[in-house]
Amino acid sequence: MADASVIVAQVIFGLIRGILLGCVFALIALGLNLVWGIAKVVNIAHGELVMLGAYGAYFLNLFLGFNPLLTAPIDAALGLAAGLGFYFAILHRELRGKEAITLQSEMVTLVATFGLSLAISNLANIAFTGNFVGIPFDAGSIEIGFLQIPLAGIYVAVLSVVIISLTHVLLNRTYLGNAIRAYSQDIPAAKLMGINPTAVAAIGTGLAFAVTMAGGAFLTTLFPTGINPYMGALYAPISYVIVVLGGPGRMWGSLVGGLTLGIVIDVGQIFLGVEIAYAVAFLLLIPVLLLRPEGILR
Amino acid sequence: MNFGRLLRSAPTLWGLAGFLVVLAVWGPWIPTFVLTLLINLLLFASLAYSMNFIAGLTGYVSFGHVVFMGTGAYAWGYVVGTFGWHPLAGIVAGAAVGLVLALGIGSVALRFRGVYFAIATLVTALAARNIILVIPALGDGQGIILNLGFEPLTWFYTIWVILGIQVGLTYWVTHGRIGYGLRAIKSDEDAAKALGVDAARLKLFVFAFSGLFAGAAGALNVWTLSGVFPEPAFDLLFSLQMLAMVIIGGMGTLLGPLLGAVAVYLPHNYFLTVAVGAEFIVIGILVTFFALVVPQGIVGALRRYVPTLRGIIE
Amino acid sequence: MTITIAAVEVHKRFGGVLALRDVSISVAEGQVVGLIGPNGSGKSTLLNVMAGVERPTAGRVVLDGKRVDGLPAHRIVERGVAKTHQIPRPFLGMTTEDNVTVAALYGSWKVRDAGAAREQARKVLNLIGLDGQADALAASLTVQTRKRLEFGRAIATGARILLLDEIFAGLSPDELREAIRLFTHVQEEIGFGALVVEHVMPAVLTISEHVVVIEEGRKIAAGTPSEVVRDPNVIEAYLGTEAARAAT
Ligand SMILES: Nc1ncnc2c1ncn2[C@@H]1O[C@H](COP(=O)(O)OP(=O)(O)OP(=O)(O)O)[C@@H](O)[C@H]1O
Ligand SMILES: [Mg+2]
Repeated sequence: MADASVIVAQVIFGLIRGILLGCVFALIALGLNLVWGIAKVVNIAHGELVMLGAYGAYFLNLFLGFNPLLTAPIDAALGLAAGLGFYFAILHRELRGKEAITLQSEMVTLVATFGLSLAISNLANIAFTGNFVGIPFDAGSIEIGFLQIPLAGIYVAVLSVVIISLTHVLLNRTYLGNAIRAYSQDIPAAKLMGINPTAVAAIGTGLAFAVTMAGGAFLTTLFPTGINPYMGALYAPISYVIVVLGGPGRMWGSLVGGLTLGIVIDVGQIFLGVEIAYAVAFLLLIPVLLLRPEGILR
Repeated sequence: MNFGRLLRSAPTLWGLAGFLVVLAVWGPWIPTFVLTLLINLLLFASLAYSMNFIAGLTGYVSFGHVVFMGTGAYAWGYVVGTFGWHPLAGIVAGAAVGLVLALGIGSVALRFRGVYFAIATLVTALAARNIILVIPALGDGQGIILNLGFEPLTWFYTIWVILGIQVGLTYWVTHGRIGYGLRAIKSDEDAAKALGVDAARLKLFVFAFSGLFAGAAGALNVWTLSGVFPEPAFDLLFSLQMLAMVIIGGMGTLLGPLLGAVAVYLPHNYFLTVAVGAEFIVIGILVTFFALVVPQGIVGALRRYVPTLRGIIE
Repeated sequence: MTITIAAVEVHKRFGGVLALRDVSISVAEGQVVGLIGPNGSGKSTLLNVMAGVERPTAGRVVLDGKRVDGLPAHRIVERGVAKTHQIPRPFLGMTTEDNVTVAALYGSWKVRDAGAAREQARKVLNLIGLDGQADALAASLTVQTRKRLEFGRAIATGARILLLDEIFAGLSPDELREAIRLFTHVQEEIGFGALVVEHVMPAVLTISEHVVVIEEGRKIAAGTPSEVVRDPNVIEAYLGTEAARAAT
């Protein structure tokens, strides 16, 4: 049995790492949450977007020597374009003219994005090869007592929280945000208020993709060799759990969900090992779904 | 009953039966190379019919079906490797484990609708793989290696029997009382309940079949590979391909899963020699296309646009 | 033996909204009871509670002397009570006849054979005058026909008590007369009991022997149709305080 103080130190370190990781998880999940909350679409290709964000950062660093933190805005711009394209290519034909999004539409977009996820990850596998790559990036670290905390992790965590806050402000304090919220609650009423539903849904999707790809760029600093065409298969389910934990459509919920998952994974692995820690994190979804009253559980 | 009328009453069923009989009779003379292709094709078809029971008949899209394959495979590996059971008995064990697991998972997950069910099944499959990885009796993540020899004809007839049962069962549950109940649930579950349909029981019933056959197919799959390893046994791509086959072929139809299996297996086999992984690009694009443009799948589209086929294929 | 369903001191809360406060009502087989009240007064909620679609927050639902609140909806159908939806919910991809066949197969008649159930379904369609549209896809039906299909499906479950949510809404005066005639005919034929929710007073008043009025989740009056229309509480709820004062 290890010394008690060693365990305490490990737990504290796991906790800090979990919080830093959780903030980035929250940002990634925020992207899923936005499309889910606004357009009622659960994007199964969400994980591939994270992957593309990470590769975006990787190639910008590799070829142009970008600092990975500075790749996030470029990734976000690409995400915005991708989101608008995605809306008009995939979602528009299913959502246009609908007064409310039915279960059937939900399933159609679910399956359509599932096909995309399969195609994109395997296309990436051919284009980028299946090797794990990463960005060499060391921003130094700070020492608090016996703890060494990498500064890069702190930067991306803080930036993630800033972006989540800005999204919150955008949604609650601006005309565009009001339009988006009106659309997400009641499409006919939004139309009566003079809101163009197509424009709002498209912009919302673009915003969601921008945030997700930026999150993908931030991840590269936390996992130095974690970039791979199939990495989406991990971040998509993590995002689903986070959004369900925090409640679809609730932006702060993503932060709470992200922190919960980050801590469960990073502290959990100290006692349970990596595999079981992730299994627990995934299975958190089930009791949450069971305990939710109306809406999810019927 | 006269034979002609019997044939006319269920042409698709008899067509499928004829196809299976031809395969069975031809069996011993099939060249080994073709036989191995056929075994894989029938295995895919069997997985498609398994998924069809739940996703096709009730509209509950499961992303985690590989969990039944994977546990079926491990059950097979365990009873054959540790207890020295005959591999065929191992298939039965795989089916039994698939059934029991489906009853367990289904009784919780089937309470969640739509995307929530899809997500719940997905995380369950991911968690199950992680848990299997650390169980010492199941090879501690290293897998179970068995050397049983190359028996293509036995594999062929085994998957043939499994598939035959599935086709018959699919016909049985889609016709008659259960079929009405399932179509009602798929269309509007609350409205179905308001007419007395015990939706929870009916869903669990077909989900149990779904798990049973996925378990059996998973067991047969690892028999042909002579060993069980966690990554391939729980490869999420199986779940996704099962779903792809049903979507492409036609959800809830009798012929659709077989057509879907052909549509998914062909690119598989073709790209195997050209560019590994490229088949999933094709399959993925097909899935997206079908979801948005032809949501009724091949069979549904044929019924819709070719009126003469309406009374023939289902 | 006739059966009776009763809601006893039922409360229902949705988050901050108290949709039902201490409401009691009962309907016996063979009896037609009207339930009226303004928009959002809790009529549909009361029906949902009685049909097992929602659980009451407090109070009970008693069917034939036994508590049934907490039982799932299909178990209540099994015991002879069926509800229609205010906004019709037909199985869109199925034909009118298949829609009704589902009810015949799974309702309290317990017809196990699909052929026999289709037979039953055709009889019901005849009775409600939908036989001409038996083979039409439900998706192609008009809203009014869908309402009639809701009614037909509820009958085909073999229900001895029907909970009918605004089946007469949206009809022109002529259509309304015709619909009431049909309802009365079918009710006499089968002898079911019915709790009929309506906005439109005239419809309820002509077919009901007893009327209950709720407002904001509270029962404000009950009695025969002629008693209820003279009740000052009802006049106030429907026409405002001024009219109530003028009437007394
Ligand atoms: N599922 C629900 N969740 C939250 N609030 C609900 C729900 N169902 C009903 N309500 C609320 O309960 C109250 C009563 O609604 P209900 O539909 O029972 O009224 P109603 O009398 O049937 O109205 P209408 O005449 O418009 O059909 C309303 O304030 C409504 O908003
Ligand atoms: Mg109502």
